[in-house]
Amino acid sequence: MEIYLPIAEQSINIFVLLALGGAAGLLAGMFGVGGGFLATPLLIFAGIPPAVAVASQANQVIANSVSSLQVQWRRGNVDLRMGLILLAGGMVGSSAGVSLFTWLKRIGQIDFTIAVLYVVMLSAIGLLMLVESSRTWFRRRRNPEAPRGKLHTHYMVHRLPFKMRFYKSKLYISALLPLGLGFVIGMLSAILGVGGGFVLVPAMIYLLGMPTSVVIGTSNFQILFVAANVTFLQAATNRTVDVVLALLLILGGVVGAPIGARLAARLPGVALRGLMGLLVLAVAAELLTDLLRTPASPFSLGTREVLP
Amino acid sequence: MKALLLVGLAWLCALAAEAMAQVPTEPPVAPRGAPTGGLLPAPPLAGQGVPAEPSARPDESGRPTLIMDLSSAGVSITSAFQGESLLVFGMFDPPGEIVVVVEGPPGRETVMRKERVLGLWLTTGRQVFEDVPSYYYLAASQPLQRLLAGRAGGEILSLEDRLSIIRPARLAPPPRLAEFRGGLVEVKRQEGLYPANIGQVTIQGGRLFRADLPFPSRLPEGIYSVRAYLLREGRIAATVSRPLAVAKVGFNAELASWSRQDGAFYGLGAIAMALLVGWFGGAVMRRL
Repeated sequence: MEIYLPIAEQSINIFVLLALGGAAGLLAGMFGVGGGFLATPLLIFAGIPPAVAVASQANQVIANSVSSLQVQWRRGNVDLRMGLILLAGGMVGSSAGVSLFTWLKRIGQIDFTIAVLYVVMLSAIGLLMLVESSRTWFRRRRNPEAPRGKLHTHYMVHRLPFKMRFYKSKLYISALLPLGLGFVIGMLSAILGVGGGFVLVPAMIYLLGMPTSVVIGTSNFQILFVAANVTFLQAATNRTVDVVLALLLILGGVVGAPIGARLAARLPGVALRGLMGLLVLAVAAELLTDLLRTPASPFSLGTREVLP
Repeated sequence: MKALLLVGLAWLCALAAEAMAQVPTEPPVAPRGAPTGGLLPAPPLAGQGVPAEPSARPDESGRPTLIMDLSSAGVSITSAFQGESLLVFGMFDPPGEIVVVVEGPPGRETVMRKERVLGLWLTTGRQVFEDVPSYYYLAASQPLQRLLAGRAGGEILSLEDRLSIIRPARLAPPPRLAEFRGGLVEVKRQEGLYPANIGQVTIQGGRLFRADLPFPSRLPEGIYSVRAYLLREGRIAATVSRPLAVAKVGFNAELASWSRQDGAFYGLGAIAMALLVGWFGGAVMRRL
């Protein structure tokens, strides 16, 4: 059954959108990160203009993260102090990102930028996940009773000034670190229409050294408000948020997320992370071939303007 | 809280109902400043009360009759819109041949060209054209070349002729303009907005004509013009035209105009929708 999207100005199969939302929700439930990094490229492959896909996806991320935050908040898994500092960076980053998006759209480079950023980021994340999970896998097989390491390792970045105590995360680190991280994630969120959980979560674990128990809740806290900011700015400046598109993705996601969570409880974590790494690499490869392949037509049209 | 939920549910139902409806339930809303005469419900038979065009009636100077009407007063873009085919029909004083030209409202189009740079396909050139018709379709009762060989060729324009007069926003060398103009046609053709084939106008009984107008799903809104020409020996003996409103209706129209007129408020609405559905949807699904 086809449905006409009022802002994208085209009709698309309703079940394709529901399935896409469902797949994104499944990932969200399984890995605790939104599936935006998968859904946005697929929406673009389906013919939705990239500008509309990105902005509407940001709208979907709100629903995804509020639903997850609901549970995490009740369990006390949100480090509010850390979340607020991440959010401060995220607000500035996403506002700057939307301005950059608008400018890139005007000069006709937005599609290319979106694709290149996705390829670079997804390849890096996918490889990291794959390497990490295979290393854990082999280590565990060799020595199942491996001694626990330090709480976290110290890098150069931990020598930055403005140190703050984060009691819930058991950390004493510079506030500049989460602030900068929030900024980068906000930027990604605005340009790529993702929550950014798939970058934020590993960065919080490996870079900030946060305990995994509070990572999901805290990242969802930041993502919720940043996605709301992106949705608002995209709607106000670019007029590219399609609520019908977003609603269908959300409905799919609402059904997919609990299924993903139940699956994750049954499958081993290491295998799951390896699987995720492979999936991320596959999306990156598909985007890369798209950039390398000779297009059917070298021409495309920008947004049509009707003069009053 | 309950009230909010109810509003959300009502909205979902409205959306679903509209998606189910295959037939537009209400006539399209005429955009402001549109000539309303042509938008009245079409009479079942041509020839009675058809839009008053001076050349549509046989007048004192003995111009031949040419009357035209459309199977629908406008194109309504509903939630179930997947493109539409409209019938244009009419009557004329024989002899002669009929050409129908449909043109969408003019707008500014940016054509972008990609090139391979270091192995990657990158946008390297762009060209802006003004007054580009959003849609252009021709139908004729005879091969067009033959009909336009005479003096009518100056007024009835083939797509190529029509596009040769669009203005570039900035001056550029002619070969470059020709290349981007070609690109414009290529993309528009793919979207079904510049149909490649000249349509067939069928003439029955020597004085009734009809033709199908194909409109694709990605149809820009606006006031289109439908013109019919009666050609005799290569000259235009009579012409008649009427506007055709292409507009989103119902829920779609409301959302689109809301987004256009008050983007910030629309954005807040979108956020509220996502929060509501995410919150309650998540809560409901966890219970199951």
